[in-house]
Amino acid sequence: MAPSTQNSGPGAPHLFVARHRRFGSSQHARWASIASTISVIGVLAFALWMAPGGKAVREFFLSPSHAWRAFIGDPSEGLSAIWRGFLTNIWMFIVCEILVLIFGLLIAVVRMSSSPILTPLRILSTVYTDFFRGIPVILVLFAVGYGMPGMDLGWISQQSPAVYACIALTITYSAYVAEVYRAGINSVATNQLVAARAIGLRQGATMRYVVLPQAIRNVIPPLLNDFISLQKDTALVSTLGIVDATQAAHIYGSLNFNFAGYTVASLLFLLLTIPMTRLTDRLIDRDRSKRLAFVS
Amino acid sequence: MRALRLALAGALSATALTAATLATTAGATTSLKGCNTATYKTAGKLTVGTDNPVWEPWFSNNTPSNGEGYESAFTYALARKLGFTNAKVQWTTVPFDASYAPGVKSYDFDINEISYTPERAKTVAFSNSYYDVQQSVVVLKTSKYANVKTLAGLKNAKFGDQVGTTGMSYITKYIKPKTAPRAYNTLDLAVAALQSKQIDAIVVDTPTGNYMVNYQITTEAGDPLAKQIGQFKSVGEHYGVTFQKNSKLVACVNSAIAALKADGTLKRLATQYLSDYTSVPLLK
Amino acid sequence: MIELHNVHKQFDQRTVLHGVTLELQAHEVVCLLGSSGSGKSTLLRCINLLERIEQGDIIFRGQSLLDERIDVDLVRRHIGIVFQAFNLFPHLNVLDNITLGPLRALGRPRNEVESEARELLGRIGLGTRSDDYPDQLSGGQQQRVAIARALAMQPDVLLLDEVTSALDPTLVGEVLDLLSDLAIQGTTMLIATHEMQFARDVAHRVALLDAGRLVEVAPAKQFFDNPSQPETIDFLSRVPKTQ
Repeated sequence: MAPSTQNSGPGAPHLFVARHRRFGSSQHARWASIASTISVIGVLAFALWMAPGGKAVREFFLSPSHAWRAFIGDPSEGLSAIWRGFLTNIWMFIVCEILVLIFGLLIAVVRMSSSPILTPLRILSTVYTDFFRGIPVILVLFAVGYGMPGMDLGWISQQSPAVYACIALTITYSAYVAEVYRAGINSVATNQLVAARAIGLRQGATMRYVVLPQAIRNVIPPLLNDFISLQKDTALVSTLGIVDATQAAHIYGSLNFNFAGYTVASLLFLLLTIPMTRLTDRLIDRDRSKRLAFVS
Repeated sequence: MRALRLALAGALSATALTAATLATTAGATTSLKGCNTATYKTAGKLTVGTDNPVWEPWFSNNTPSNGEGYESAFTYALARKLGFTNAKVQWTTVPFDASYAPGVKSYDFDINEISYTPERAKTVAFSNSYYDVQQSVVVLKTSKYANVKTLAGLKNAKFGDQVGTTGMSYITKYIKPKTAPRAYNTLDLAVAALQSKQIDAIVVDTPTGNYMVNYQITTEAGDPLAKQIGQFKSVGEHYGVTFQKNSKLVACVNSAIAALKADGTLKRLATQYLSDYTSVPLLK
Repeated sequence: MIELHNVHKQFDQRTVLHGVTLELQAHEVVCLLGSSGSGKSTLLRCINLLERIEQGDIIFRGQSLLDERIDVDLVRRHIGIVFQAFNLFPHLNVLDNITLGPLRALGRPRNEVESEARELLGRIGLGTRSDDYPDQLSGGQQQRVAIARALAMQPDVLLLDEVTSALDPTLVGEVLDLLSDLAIQGTTMLIATHEMQFARDVAHRVALLDAGRLVEVAPAKQFFDNPSQPETIDFLSRVPKTQ
């Protein structure tokens, strides 16, 4: 029992004082969390160090000399630099992200329009989202990356694999993102639509100036989640022969029989995705506290 | 599945013939240097790893156990030298990347056209050479590079290769093309890229390249669509089987390989399965 | 200005309006009374074509709004409506809430629209709040902005649907004051409300809707002091006396 409870007078029950206070203050709590974090990491590190094969595994995944050589590459030995490969991941991600934002929105808006003229397009966009959300990205990559050039369609068939990879990623992710947008559009209150129509805004203008700005704000966290997946899925473009960070690591691994390059590639991806995940969490928290404020 | 494959293999007369030849040439167990301390993963059996799929002319019909193809036939010859009957040879699937990952191996050795390099030898143990290999360049017959005879003439070509093969190193080391080579996860993806004209050329070991142009990249009637325009000069590259690091089997297998070399078995197998490649000209 | 002839409206099997006939003159203010669920809101929404009527006719400036060739968006630009729940656009600041319609529905030039909007904001006493967002305003202020948003379209008639019902009692006054000013300036208004005193003071005529039927329409003074229908007498006896 805490001393303060003993000192209090008789007949004054402390209903809200925990009888067993593990952490008397926030200071204690902080120390406890630091201690438990250190011990968990310690156990993992110990396992990596002391396991019978620990030394071999460390050398295989964490060797600094291999990691550095994989990072900077060595053309004379046929080794592509992982950092250079990672630039490919970054630009593919940026280009695809922009395209996905545009196409996803188009699909969602078409799908939600009520205009009878757009009926065929509306059916098409429904089929599209169902279809491409259900197919693994890698199969779309194969179909586009080896199918389009194989068709001998002149200009269409003469693009670089990076272009096909972007097309495939955009096709798949637009389907996901269209659904996110659609959820966002549905989340906008009906009275907003009524208010917009009441001042004589046409359907298109209502969508553009009233619904979409609110819808997009509502779906920024899930959109960012999809982008984190997209960032990682740029690694799949290696199936089209593009030497991205993971493929450069793979090349290094098979020529030197060491996987430290994969560790390097993982770290580079983390550098890119962690700020994004943090940002997403911040936005989600902010959104939640806003909603809670409405409740109180 | 394996039982079925064996049954099918047995039904092929060619297979039966090969097995018979192997049995007579390998002869009875000889006491080989280094074999007295050798221990096997499974007592009384020789467990051999290779990838799936495996390719001609190193294997045949993606069936390592049929004794067909250079590496399969070599493995059975080696097994006889080590004192195993054909039935005692057990094949196990080992993806290339797994063959060099750390940890205890499930096989006695892995055979999968793995080139020896000093870097690789730091992680796994290599046997001595069972085949000295050269790399060659394969292009489509309709390609503008179809008649090139020099390395310099290939500078502007777009290259592609299976990821992590030594062929990839040859491209960047000896040709230094203007466009960075593409790396495909499997050889058949690289072939698909060549056929769809995404790349101009593949660098691949000469026997494999030979098989490609004669049997793989053809019209439906079987006429070749691709051409092996030449090979790099030999730089001492060779294939070895790989063992877990510090394996006690290395010395024993090396003396068996030496014996197969000495009695002409390797040369005979090369003539039988890899003969065509000698006609490929050297790239200057 | 607006004539309702025998307007019927049903939701599924339930009849909400039973043959309502009413005429609204230019510059006239008519207050629509009635208990909750009597059909006041529905009637206003029918006039604005937010709801389709099953039977009867609505004539606006001599033209039937039920004509199939009518462009409903065009009609709505001439008939403003303000809702109980304000329905301001939360992502736009006060000024943008007001200018959205004139800019994007009427396609008028921005500088002109903005200076009008600022003048309007001055008139409703919110001249300094043009950059604020709706959630930074009190309910009364939000409702005044909503009224300004409807006025910015320069409508021929303004429909007001219980615009003070969602407000804190202390904030009701400021909104009613604004409506009184509009009435004095000659704005044509049809106001659904529960505010008896306001109706008595501001309306030219008062109408009572009871279970979807318009039971009495009379000049304000007569309606309150000398009602002719039993439903009206009953209704007025049930509401607390106002000063």
